[in-house]
Amino acid sequence: MFKKFDEKEDVTGATQLKSSVQKGIRKKLIENFPYLEPHLEEILPKKENFKVIKCKDHIELLADHLGVVRFVKTRNTDYIPTLRTLHKYPFILPHQQVDKGAIKFILNGSSIMCPGLTSPGAKLTPLVPKDSVVAVMAEGKQHALAIGLMSMSSEEIQSVNKGNGIENLHYLNDGLWHLAEKSLN
Amino acid sequence: MSDGETAVIQSLAPGPIDGVSYPLKMVYCGQCSMPPEYCDYSGQTDVCRAWATQNAPELLEGLEISDEPAADGDEKKKQKRGGKGSKTGAAAAQAAASGGKKKGGGPQKVTLQREPRGKKSVTVIKGLATFDIDLKVASKLFAQKFACGSSVTGADEIVIQGDVKDDLLDLIPEKWKQVTDEQIDDLGDKKR
Repeated sequence: MFKKFDEKEDVTGATQLKSSVQKGIRKKLIENFPYLEPHLEEILPKKENFKVIKCKDHIELLADHLGVVRFVKTRNTDYIPTLRTLHKYPFILPHQQVDKGAIKFILNGSSIMCPGLTSPGAKLTPLVPKDSVVAVMAEGKQHALAIGLMSMSSEEIQSVNKGNGIENLHYLNDGLWHLAEKSLN
Repeated sequence: MSDGETAVIQSLAPGPIDGVSYPLKMVYCGQCSMPPEYCDYSGQTDVCRAWATQNAPELLEGLEISDEPAADGDEKKKQKRGGKGSKTGAAAAQAAASGGKKKGGGPQKVTLQREPRGKKSVTVIKGLATFDIDLKVASKLFAQKFACGSSVTGADEIVIQGDVKDDLLDLIPEKWKQVTDEQIDDLGDKKR
């Protein structure tokens, strides 16, 4: 999704939000990521205003008062954390672990195929429904390498074991990764 | 989102670990910008290792930033997963070794090779980076000169669509004076 994402081409404009809208977004984030509640003040301080950066293809970026992108909203998902946010707070999304062989494909932007989630090095978290947003971890690695959207439920991945298991939304070294490392002020 | 769904998310996300203070302090590689454990997959491992040695030696102890990302056990897996153009473990290791030689004190050479791609063919240029030539700029120049697609596909590799080997033999020394005719190797056609 963010493979060829480029700040100059894809960003269409930034909006300073009204405090009531900001409150609504904060509430939504807590609803979606309950474990984030004690830490939301560190990510998006109440005293500071954050802004929404609108991009092409119905993508919205949520940037904090320093201009650092913290969350992303896509056409198919509600606000999800960027990988840099996830690395600091790894507990906010369910984890799905892929085997070592899948890493290079994921870092190329490929979707995660079922065999990469069911082979010996992988660990599939059960009961994760279809269309859930998950953190993609890797065998032998500590940090997430991608954020994905479940194309099937965990049970289907296990039983079907063919085709796309998780759609790759955002991965290390993609356009959004490089955008999130700098301030957009 | 309804309360039921929220409950599902809450039970599935692992939640914070007791005794760990958040946010976690993250160290990213100064070269490839990824967490150091993924430097193996950056395509510039040697540069990453040099950076880690200088700036964060403690990372090198716990992590293996190695020349070959996959151990023996992974070779089979790679072969099985690799598509048409993927190299097997041995070939990849060989390629890494040859790349290492070029960067070291070995002779500087530019190699040109024609590779078949179905009915058509492409020209592969390697070794330009050893002459401090910007591959992106070179790729763009070739695309303009030969009116064809040209892309940087590796740490030191440019692929040009079409067989333009003969034209390159003239163009490269003309454009970059530091590359002489003797330093350009024509490897001919790559066998399938």
